[in-house]
Amino acid sequence: MHDIYNFVSGPLVWVSFIIFFGGSLYRLISMAVLAKKKDVIVYEYMSLKYGLRSILHWITPFGTVKWRKNPILTIVTFTFHICLIFIPIFLSAHIILWKESWDISWWYISDTTADVLAVVVIASCVFFLIRRIVLPEVKYLTSVSDYIILAIVAAPFITGFWTYHQWPGFKIMGIIHILSGEIMLAAIPCTRLIHMVFFPFTRGYMGSEFGAVRHAKDW
Amino acid sequence: MGKRTLIIYMVITLLVCIFAVMSGYSQEDVTTVEDSAFEEKMRPTVQFLHDEHNEAAEIEEECNVCHHVYEEGKKVEDESSEETECSECHTLNKGDNPLSLVKVYHLQCKGCHQKKKAGPIMCSECHPR
Repeated sequence: MHDIYNFVSGPLVWVSFIIFFGGSLYRLISMAVLAKKKDVIVYEYMSLKYGLRSILHWITPFGTVKWRKNPILTIVTFTFHICLIFIPIFLSAHIILWKESWDISWWYISDTTADVLAVVVIASCVFFLIRRIVLPEVKYLTSVSDYIILAIVAAPFITGFWTYHQWPGFKIMGIIHILSGEIMLAAIPCTRLIHMVFFPFTRGYMGSEFGAVRHAKDW
Repeated sequence: MGKRTLIIYMVITLLVCIFAVMSGYSQEDVTTVEDSAFEEKMRPTVQFLHDEHNEAAEIEEECNVCHHVYEEGKKVEDESSEETECSECHTLNKGDNPLSLVKVYHLQCKGCHQKKKAGPIMCSECHPR
């Protein structure tokens, strides 16, 4: 147990962070190079003003027609994404590990708050799963990888919740929790989770083309 | 009630009595990790059977493995600091982040356990519900 714990909480953390940052940077650069080669017009039309205008609308709940048309999806998507980033960064149990290793720490949320928010994330994942299965237009666009990605994202929260509540097998679950977090970090540059990094550029370009070329709104 | 059952009951009663008396005498034993500097507890108090731990860790004669004394950044080998709360040296000023003291405790217990590959290392192993 000690060897496994030391391994997943030591070298594997480094590996996952290097894949996350290095891989994301690589994806960004290779995409920029590809665009330069195959679609140089992207650089011509990219506009900070129109790009930011579009991004701002899309990151505002109910700030676009699409968000207003699907109020439930909007609420779930926003709370899900906020909690997804918020919980792991501001969880006291994570911060104490940063403190132990690097002597750095920051503001943290109470364990009870984290507990409630974790349920929100898990419930959101269930919502996304059901949506994929039930809605024909979403089902049509769904492939196996979508389910795998959803599982990768849900796993750290399910295992973390399990470990925190010390349900049966919580020690093994704690190890799986650390491992699943690392898999998720490493999966970001390797899967469509890269939208976390690409979002400002894809949305920014849409906004630029709609704003500067078509003189239309893209929200 | 058969004779055998009666004997078993009597033995159990006797054992319970012995245990009760023994625990009465051994109230001075350290069974938890406490520090008055922690005003608000985020997790349950750590259960720690001092004597059993030291026997298992084979450090009964070496108090300063844990109760150390540092002077100018160097550990003083022949001194120890029992009866001193960790927070007396690892001070926590008002408004300080309590994590700095938590860290000291964690590294003292978990850090050693990781090195020796023995003893609890995960959150819930020491802070049970």
